[in-house]
Amino acid sequence: MDLTPLWLSLKLAFMTTVILVIMAAPLTYLLVYIRFAGKSFFEALLTLPMVLPPTVLGFYLLLVMTPQGKIGRFWEAVTGSPLIFTFSGIVVASLVYSLPFAIQPMKAAFEKIDRRLLESAYVLGLSPMSAFFKVVIPNAVNGLTASAILVFIHTLGEFGVILMVGGSIPGETKVASIAIYEAVEALRYRDAAMMCLILVPVSYLFLLLINRLTKRQIYGA
Amino acid sequence: MYRYFSIILAAFFIITGSGGSAIAGEKLLVAVAANFILPSGELTEMFQEKTGIPTEATYSSTGKLYGQIIKGAPYDIFFAADEKRPNLLNEQGLCDAPFVYARGQVVVWTANTALCGASTWQEVVKNPAVQKIAIANTESAPYGTAAMIALQQVGLWDTLKDKYVFPQSVAQAFQYAESKSSDVGFCAYSSALSDKGKKGCFYTVSEAPPIVQAACILKRTGNRSAAERFVAFVQSPEAQKIKEKYGYR
Repeated sequence: MDLTPLWLSLKLAFMTTVILVIMAAPLTYLLVYIRFAGKSFFEALLTLPMVLPPTVLGFYLLLVMTPQGKIGRFWEAVTGSPLIFTFSGIVVASLVYSLPFAIQPMKAAFEKIDRRLLESAYVLGLSPMSAFFKVVIPNAVNGLTASAILVFIHTLGEFGVILMVGGSIPGETKVASIAIYEAVEALRYRDAAMMCLILVPVSYLFLLLINRLTKRQIYGA
Repeated sequence: MYRYFSIILAAFFIITGSGGSAIAGEKLLVAVAANFILPSGELTEMFQEKTGIPTEATYSSTGKLYGQIIKGAPYDIFFAADEKRPNLLNEQGLCDAPFVYARGQVVVWTANTALCGASTWQEVVKNPAVQKIAIANTESAPYGTAAMIALQQVGLWDTLKDKYVFPQSVAQAFQYAESKSSDVGFCAYSSALSDKGKKGCFYTVSEAPPIVQAACILKRTGNRSAAERFVAFVQSPEAQKIKEKYGYR
């Protein structure tokens, strides 16, 4: 059995997690602590990928990521190579797809932080920027970890979006979920079963870890 | 609280009850490979008009329909995009002897009219401006397999290796080419004849073996006489005209 798709899935999940946690933390900070007009509209927009069918999301991504599309054209102008049907392309797609899963646990953790802590920080002269790094982040480590793990397993299980924008190129965009689908289509049930057998315990272990982390957050400290 | 619950419960029964009015076994259920969707729509409509037998077609990839059938899906006839799957069902005693109902042809299709001046399909795919070539999954999609055979035969399969994109079906291959996500696509002749297909140009890939599409009546059908009438209709000269209109022989 070819293990490349599994390795590719892990690589995709890892890259998406790192980028997304860094991206989502300031966004969540904005949502929790900063007041601005149209906030609820903005928040609903960020949560949209969670409820949209992956095919709908994939369809729109396909349109904007082609060399004629807005993002595709921008990407090609900056990097010199096309975005669609590349590993970078499915990373971009995963970032959109998993964004709400990064924000939700982070938001819960940020909201739990005692406001007085932040107020004291401001009184002591910390800027919102340094308050974010010195007060919010250290007090929300469990939330950040939970969101990282959630993004990781969610991306690991991503199928519909990648089916639309990936193009199933071996070693590039043919991730485990696609490889399993293709194995079933081609009647290679043994290969499909083997890959599933690896994916299930991995996902289960990570979920277990999330439960542990969030529990400690409630009863601990 | 009770009120809401009873409303939801009532809605549930209305929704679940409404679909069950037709008696199972009366309606002819046909499983059809996705590439045949256009002619099939016209054929089933014509058949219903002529015979009054309600007929419903389900469209999916041949591989998926095959998987559903061996797990007991309630279809009466299976129209595949290849000969392999009907033969396999026949060997397992799940369907009658398969018969050929259509032959498809692989074409190279592009939306980029700058490529349309070429004289052969090889010239099109070898053009350095071509970065991505869409080929349906070579393992499960018959059109993909045929395209691969043609490329191997003319000695281009390995040379162009870095440019391939593998959509799941021949329909997705056309969608990639049509949206210009890929520069060219190995598509079905029937797609090239469609309204969208007319916006680009196509080259017949004569090296690709014809896509022989076979069908068979499933043994589990409770509707054998209707199924046999449908099969006879699909092979009639009248139906042949419709198939030709959509690019099948």
